[in-house]
Amino acid sequence: MKSIRKIDAIPKLNGSWKFLDDYSYEGMIHGQLLYSTCHHGFIRKVTFPEGYDLSEFTMVYAEDILGENIVPEPVCDQPYMADKEVFHFGQVIMGIAHPNRKLLREFISNTSIEYKELPAITDIKECLENEDNVFGRKLTIDHRTGKKPDPNWVHHHKIYYTPHQEQAYLEPQGMIAIWQPKDKIMFVRANCQCPFFVKEGVEAIMGNKIKEAVIETSEGIGGAFGGKEDFPSLLAGITSLLSYKSGKPVKIVLDRSDDIQITTKRHPARIEINSWTDPETKKIMKINIDYRLDTGAYQTLSPVVLARGVLHAISGYSIPSAFIRGRLFRSNTPSNGAFRGFGAPQGFAAMEAHIDKIAVDLKMNPYEFRKINIFKIGDEFPTTQPIIENNLSDCLERVIEKSDYLNKLKEFKEWNKSHKDKKGIGISIGYHGGGYTGNGEKILNSEVKVVIEKDAIVKIYVSNTDMGQGAHTTLAQMFFEAIDHPLEKCRVQLPNTSKTPNSGPTVASRTIYIIGNLLRKFALKIKDEFGFENLENFVTSNQNKFPHEFRMKFVQDPSVVFDDENYVGVAYKDYSWAACVTEIYFHADTYQIELTKSCSVMDIGKVVNQKIATGQAEGGILQGLAYGLCEFFYKPGYGRMHGFTDYALPTTMDIPEIDVEFIHTDSLIAKGLGEIPMDFPAPSIRNAFYNATGVFIDEYPLVPERILRNLNVNKHC
Amino acid sequence: MLDINCQYKSVEVSGKKEINMKFYKPKSLLELFETSEKIEGKKYFLAGGTDINVQIKNGMIKDEPIIFLNHLTELKNILQSDNHIIIGALTSFSEILESELLKNKLPFFQNSLKNFASPLIQTTATIGGNIANGSPTADIVPLLLILDAKLKLFSKSKLREVPISEFYLGYKKFILKRNEIIGAVLIPENAETGYETFYKKIGSRKALYIAKLAIAGLKKISNNKIEEIKLAVGSLNEYPRRLFKVEEYLKNKLVNEIDFADVEHFLQKEITPITDLRSDKEYRYRVCINLIRTFLNQ
Ligand SMILES: Cc1cc2nc3c(=O)[nH]c(=O)nc-3n(C[C@H](O)[C@H](O)[C@H](O)COP(=O)(O)OP(=O)(O)OC[C@H]3O[C@@H](n4cnc5c(N)ncnc54)[C@H](O)[C@@H]3O)c2cc1C
Repeated sequence: MKSIRKIDAIPKLNGSWKFLDDYSYEGMIHGQLLYSTCHHGFIRKVTFPEGYDLSEFTMVYAEDILGENIVPEPVCDQPYMADKEVFHFGQVIMGIAHPNRKLLREFISNTSIEYKELPAITDIKECLENEDNVFGRKLTIDHRTGKKPDPNWVHHHKIYYTPHQEQAYLEPQGMIAIWQPKDKIMFVRANCQCPFFVKEGVEAIMGNKIKEAVIETSEGIGGAFGGKEDFPSLLAGITSLLSYKSGKPVKIVLDRSDDIQITTKRHPARIEINSWTDPETKKIMKINIDYRLDTGAYQTLSPVVLARGVLHAISGYSIPSAFIRGRLFRSNTPSNGAFRGFGAPQGFAAMEAHIDKIAVDLKMNPYEFRKINIFKIGDEFPTTQPIIENNLSDCLERVIEKSDYLNKLKEFKEWNKSHKDKKGIGISIGYHGGGYTGNGEKILNSEVKVVIEKDAIVKIYVSNTDMGQGAHTTLAQMFFEAIDHPLEKCRVQLPNTSKTPNSGPTVASRTIYIIGNLLRKFALKIKDEFGFENLENFVTSNQNKFPHEFRMKFVQDPSVVFDDENYVGVAYKDYSWAACVTEIYFHADTYQIELTKSCSVMDIGKVVNQKIATGQAEGGILQGLAYGLCEFFYKPGYGRMHGFTDYALPTTMDIPEIDVEFIHTDSLIAKGLGEIPMDFPAPSIRNAFYNATGVFIDEYPLVPERILRNLNVNKHC
Repeated sequence: MLDINCQYKSVEVSGKKEINMKFYKPKSLLELFETSEKIEGKKYFLAGGTDINVQIKNGMIKDEPIIFLNHLTELKNILQSDNHIIIGALTSFSEILESELLKNKLPFFQNSLKNFASPLIQTTATIGGNIANGSPTADIVPLLLILDAKLKLFSKSKLREVPISEFYLGYKKFILKRNEIIGAVLIPENAETGYETFYKKIGSRKALYIAKLAIAGLKKISNNKIEEIKLAVGSLNEYPRRLFKVEEYLKNKLVNEIDFADVEHFLQKEITPITDLRSDKEYRYRVCINLIRTFLNQ
């Protein structure tokens, strides 16, 4: 629980820590992506502006690709660059490089492309409503009992929509590639989450022209939130091709508006729920969930998002008969990708709202109704995985008590009688399975390396990146705390694919949960093997044994058995749990929701570093709240937002009082923390608004324009 | 952290920026007008640069010449003269927010500007730039409109005063002549004395936002009768506007006798809200009505 300071805190404060754009190399030139502004069509002609010396430019097209024109992804269907036909706005057509960045920008903005336009689907609803757009992977979790709904059961049918969300990392995407013809090595300095993914990406585009791609991250990675999981593979590929062709180091840093418009976003979703509730016992007896994602033009990693989506779609309720179907829908927009939560926030958005709707119709308060239906020991997930702890219910009880929910519910009801403005309070719950889904961690087969030097300095080698979330500090802390070694003797290697073993990508809330716990075990194993009490003393008296290199692999618990075909079994060994209560103030004149307080209780197991964990939780909760409240990315008829002037991230002034408490911290294992804060808070706003006004809104975000439209509809009913 | 030196030599490259634009920095107001007269076609002044620089980056301004104003300190002050508060056009928003004189004489005006941009932008953005950029969303303009402010316009040989309500002619169109600049803003010192005041700027969040709509109002009510009313709105037309027709209708009415259908009738003649990326026509319209109603019933 020790709040040790982050190892990057001081160099970040004094400015010495290097982010990608701080690196420069001799002879380096600048690159930029030329992308399609057409949603679907054939490329007819590219016209460059006059007055430029074309010989100064390096240009690469699809036909310059030396390997394959397909980015390696869970589903390999996306080309690096469009060949003859473009399938979405933002699809890369060329990479262009020039020594002068400003001149290059001018050149590209004056380059025009002629298309033969073809029909395109650009609107989210148009995409998700039409079954003709279904493509790719389909998933079903079938846990039906075969029993017909009892005619007395209360039926609810609702459709919920969730929008795109922009990761809004501080540092835009960027890459530097340096071709080394002598060794046939492509060195890439990457701003990314997953160096080994980037390595595959570069090796795929370069084919057998190179011996190897070596990827090293920049010192600082200014945020990622999932946005730097797969897009960097594409970007690194094109940057490498430019470096190969020009023979010079090439740097591409995306302009903010390009980054916002063409990189991966959270998948918009349409989730349709049919539920049947027994009015006597107040138990939901049967549920049918149709979960749809707008993937954009290509599948890429969407099937994996879909998997996590359907596995979390039922939220934390035990329902005897459940049928969940997940499908991908194609549109002519950039492929959506990873974003903290990875399919789970969409499911909670729907189910947590649905629960409040049923509760209100049954004339119960939403807490009482949740209490009856929430997971308890002995229950099962729809995949038949047994529920072995009551920690979710503990989170709910604690947050209800702490937020004084029941009293406030009464108090606000009274207050609202005599005021035009309204106060509301809402609950939501959530959870997140740690690590890769199902058999994923087994397949990843992660490895870590530790070197103990003669001076008892311990060097940790992992490929997991620190993108500001404090992973390297926490990982080191887990190793050192296990054997009580001083932190000053700790070093963490900057991820580099030729130096650090492949400990897997920095995704899926797995870094501390899988790699951190592995390092802790590893430390204890080394201690055991050498039989020391104090490492420093041991090294001093056994100098001949050092330096010494150790390697260890992750071994999955044998209880994790998952049938990937039928979606049956243990999907995740450990879950983090959470519950939240949010209070709002609704301004009747302006239809604005003001968040006044948000209280969360989370079980993430052992808390390694209290300060880092609290920071991650608060930041994630805010990101989650903003998803439900104000982050608005696409407007029918107007398209995508271009920058932070339009895309409304909350400012510090918009942040309510956020209270976070961790429970069950005496656990031995540190569970996943990365994503869960984003999963669960948003629905509490919608539920609070429903509580305040009696108006139920089926779509995020709850911007005032949408609220006004819904109030008008309600008035007319 | 481990020190891993990449095998490739790292160098600092000083990027050769090719600047095709012309910049002028006149030493005095007089030189300013001389410089300005010499330039034929279109040109821009740079006061705080918080609008201009964005326009340059977006390519909206390509290679038109730029004349710096921001060092001309004679246009940077807040003072009282006769019955007026005079604010130099180059006064920054943070100077306005910190002014003791304004705190005493025009506290409503001062307080209402607290939500302008962010502390960072407040230190550089000027009020002259806010007015002359001509944006429908300019925060200061609705306030100046209800305070019956006048603009002092300077040119080489002439000085004239115009009410701010007559300054705008259309979207980014003003009565400014070639080689004329805004020199100062004049506000009657008692412009807000004795009035009940109202100001709301509505946006997508609580700080650092562009107004979806803004409304400013002053009223004097006695015995339930509206003796005086001044209303102005931003972001609802091509430029911020006084709602003279609505005011005329409301004047001398008893508050409880106001028919809001009539208010809407007149309002519709004076505002033309639009749907854009930021908001919807219906929303802008409805919130405007709601806020006027709240102000009148307050
Ligand atoms: C992050 C950010 C947030 C912002 N938030 C807000 C906000 O909340 N509310 C708001 O209203 N605006 C906002 N703005 C816009 C801008 O800051 C204001 O309009 C500001 O007042 C402009 O003043 P300036 O001195 O920077 O103008 P400049 O950019 O220097 O000039 C703007 C225009 O005015 C002309 N000009 C300047 N001074 C004079 C003069 N004395 N006479 C004649 N013409 C002149 C110039 O030629 C130019 O066309 C924001 C801008 C940014 C970048």
